[in-house]
Amino acid sequence: MPLVKLFGHLRDYAGGSEFEIAGQTVGEALIRLCADNEPLHNAIFDQEGLLSHVRALLDGRDVELAQGLNTALDDSDQLAVFPPIAGG
Amino acid sequence: MQGWADKILDIDLSSGTVETYPLDKDIARLFLGGRGLGARLLWDLVGPHVEPLSPENVLIFATGPLTASGAQTSNRFSVSTKSPLTGTILDANSGGWWGMQFKRTGHDALIVRGKADRPVMIEIGSEGVIIKDAAHLWGKTVFVTTEVLEQDNNKRNVLCIGPAGENLSRIAAIMNDGTRSLARGGAGAVMGSKNLKAIVVVGNQKNQPKDRDYFRFMLYETGKLIKASPLTSQALPEFGTVVVMNIINEIGALPTRNFQQSQFEGAEAISGERMTDTILVRNHACWACPIACTRLTRTSRTAGEGPEYETTWAFGAQCGIDDLEIIAEANYLCNDLGLDTISTGNTIGCAMELVDKGLIESDLRFGRAEMLHDVIRDIAYRRGIGDGLAEGSYRFAETYGASELSMSSKKLELPAYDPRGMQGQGLLFATSNRGGCHMRGNMLGPEVLGLPRLVDRLASQGKGGIVAVHQDSAALVDSLVLCKFTNMAVAEEYFARILTAITGETFTADDLMRAGERVWNLERLYNLREGFTRADDTLPERLLSEPVAEGPSEGFTVNLELMLEEYYQFRGWDEQGVPTPVKLAQLELDKLVEGAGT
Repeated sequence: MPLVKLFGHLRDYAGGSEFEIAGQTVGEALIRLCADNEPLHNAIFDQEGLLSHVRALLDGRDVELAQGLNTALDDSDQLAVFPPIAGG
Repeated sequence: MQGWADKILDIDLSSGTVETYPLDKDIARLFLGGRGLGARLLWDLVGPHVEPLSPENVLIFATGPLTASGAQTSNRFSVSTKSPLTGTILDANSGGWWGMQFKRTGHDALIVRGKADRPVMIEIGSEGVIIKDAAHLWGKTVFVTTEVLEQDNNKRNVLCIGPAGENLSRIAAIMNDGTRSLARGGAGAVMGSKNLKAIVVVGNQKNQPKDRDYFRFMLYETGKLIKASPLTSQALPEFGTVVVMNIINEIGALPTRNFQQSQFEGAEAISGERMTDTILVRNHACWACPIACTRLTRTSRTAGEGPEYETTWAFGAQCGIDDLEIIAEANYLCNDLGLDTISTGNTIGCAMELVDKGLIESDLRFGRAEMLHDVIRDIAYRRGIGDGLAEGSYRFAETYGASELSMSSKKLELPAYDPRGMQGQGLLFATSNRGGCHMRGNMLGPEVLGLPRLVDRLASQGKGGIVAVHQDSAALVDSLVLCKFTNMAVAEEYFARILTAITGETFTADDLMRAGERVWNLERLYNLREGFTRADDTLPERLLSEPVAEGPSEGFTVNLELMLEEYYQFRGWDEQGVPTPVKLAQLELDKLVEGAGT
C-alpha cells in the first residue's frame, strides 16, 4: 500500500507521522486518511481541494505539477503532505 | 524625524574625528536606506584599490525610512562594506533592537573609517558621540561584552564583535543585542581590523509619521494580512524556520556531506518538528514583530537562541551530524564567538571531505559530532586546523590544491539548498552580488512552497526572470529595511503606502520595485568595477557536472548557462553581464557611472 507521511501539526491531528493507506489516487488516499478525523480533514482540504499552501509530494514531486488530487498512486509510492510552512 | 532622520554620522577612528552631515534627499529617494543607501555610499567611498582589511575600507551601518516607526518588523538595519571573504560589495542585515535604537539617536547611517591605534568602542547617546578605550573588552566573547556594556533591549543596545572578528577570521560576524547577527561575508573581520570592539546606542528621538491616521490605518491593514496568512501567523511561530528541513529533504535538495548527496538520513532528527518536541522552550520576537519566529531553546547542558534552518543544516546534514543538541550548542557558540554559522558549518564540512579524500590528516570526519565545538573554538581563536578554516572554505581548500571542494560561489559558502534539485536557486546563488546566498531572493518560495505560485523546480527554462524579480524584491525589502518574512503576507503596494504615510512623499509599488532593481544594478556595477566578470557568475564544478546519484533529483546538474543567458537578457544586461546604457538610464544610474569614468 502507498505510504502517506505527514509533517508539522498534521502529525498532531493524525496521531502519528506515517500511515499505509490504500488508494488509487492521491485524493482517494488522503480522503481515506481523513475519514472520521475532521480536524485533519480541515487542515488539508477546503471545498476546492487542497488548502492553499498545503503541499503534497509524490516521491518528491509536487502533485500540483502532475494531476493534483487525481494523480495516480502505486503501492510502492510515498506521499508526503506538508501543512503551510515557511522559513529558510 | 518623519521617515529619514536626514543625518549621517561619520567617524574616523584614525584621527578620532566625528562629523555629521545631511543625508542627500535625492539619494534617499532613489536608494531608500539600509542596503541601498549603503551601496550608494560605498560606491563613492571604497574603490577597487582598497584592501578589505585595510583602514581605507569603511563600515556603513544604515537604517531605513521605516526603521523605528513601529511598522511591523521595522527593527532591522544593515552593514555595508567591501567583503574580506569575497572581495565583492557586501551588506548583511540583522533584526533585534539595535537598529531601532540607533535610528532613535537621530541618524540614518553611521560611517566608520580608518583604524584606531588601540581597541576602542563607540557610544552614541544623549551626551553625543564618544570614542572610548575598550582594552578591557578585547578578547571577551560576545555574550560577556554585551552584558558588561549593559544591554537593555528597549533602552540601550550593544553591537560588538567576538574573538573571531578580533582575530580577523574572514567568516566573522558582527553581533547585536547578544544573539542577532550581521553574519555573512566577514564584516566582523573588517570591524576587528579597525580595532573597534563595540558600538553602544541610546536614543530618545521618535520616527513620527507625517500622516499619522493614514499610517495607523495601514498598520491595521498590514497587521490583518500578517494574521490572516498561515505562513506568518502559524507556520513560522509554531515551528520556526527549521520546519523546511523535511520538505527540502523530501524533494532531494538537502545538501549532505559537502553536497556529495542531496538527502540526509538524519533529516527528521534535526527537523523543526523534532526541535519543537525536544529543545524548544518558547518562541520570541524582535522589536515590533508580530511573527515571532525566533526559537529559545534548552539542551541538557545549556540554553540559548536558535538555531535557524540554515544553521541546523550547516552543522547537521553538511557535516553528517544528526545530534540536535550538539547542533544547537554549536549555534550558541558561534553567536558567542561572533561567527557566521553558515560559513562555519559549510567550511567544516569541506574540511571533512578533504580528510575523507586523504588530502589532510585529521580526525575531523563526517559525523564526528563530539569534535564540532572544539573546531568552532579553534576557528575563532585561529588555533591548529582552525587557523586555515578561519579563512573560509575556498582559501582553505585551495591551500590543499582542492578549491573545487569548496561549496561556495564568489567564495561565499552556499546555504542549505542543493541547486541541482532547485534549478532557479542555482541561478540565484551564481548571480548573487555578495556571493552564494539565499537572502538575495530565495527560490524556495516558487520552486518548493508554491509562493506566490508553484513552478517546476527541476526546469531551467523561464527561471531567469523569476530570479531577477525575486532579487529586486529582496533588495527593496533590505533597503526599507524590513524582515523578508513580512513580505510573505504583505505586498509591495502596502510598503509603498506605509512609506508614503511616514514621509509625506508619494511612493508607488512600481517606484519601490524600481528602487530594488536600481540597488541590484548598482551592486553589480560595484563588482564589475572590482574586476568581477561573467566567469564569476558560477557554481562549484560538482553542481555543474556531477549529477545527483539518487533520490527525487537523480540525474540532475544545474543547467546554469541556459539560465544565465535568459537572466542577463531579462535584466537588460549585455552577454557579458554588464548593464547596458539604456538600462542604466532607466534606473537613473547613468550619471553615476559617467561620473566615475567607468
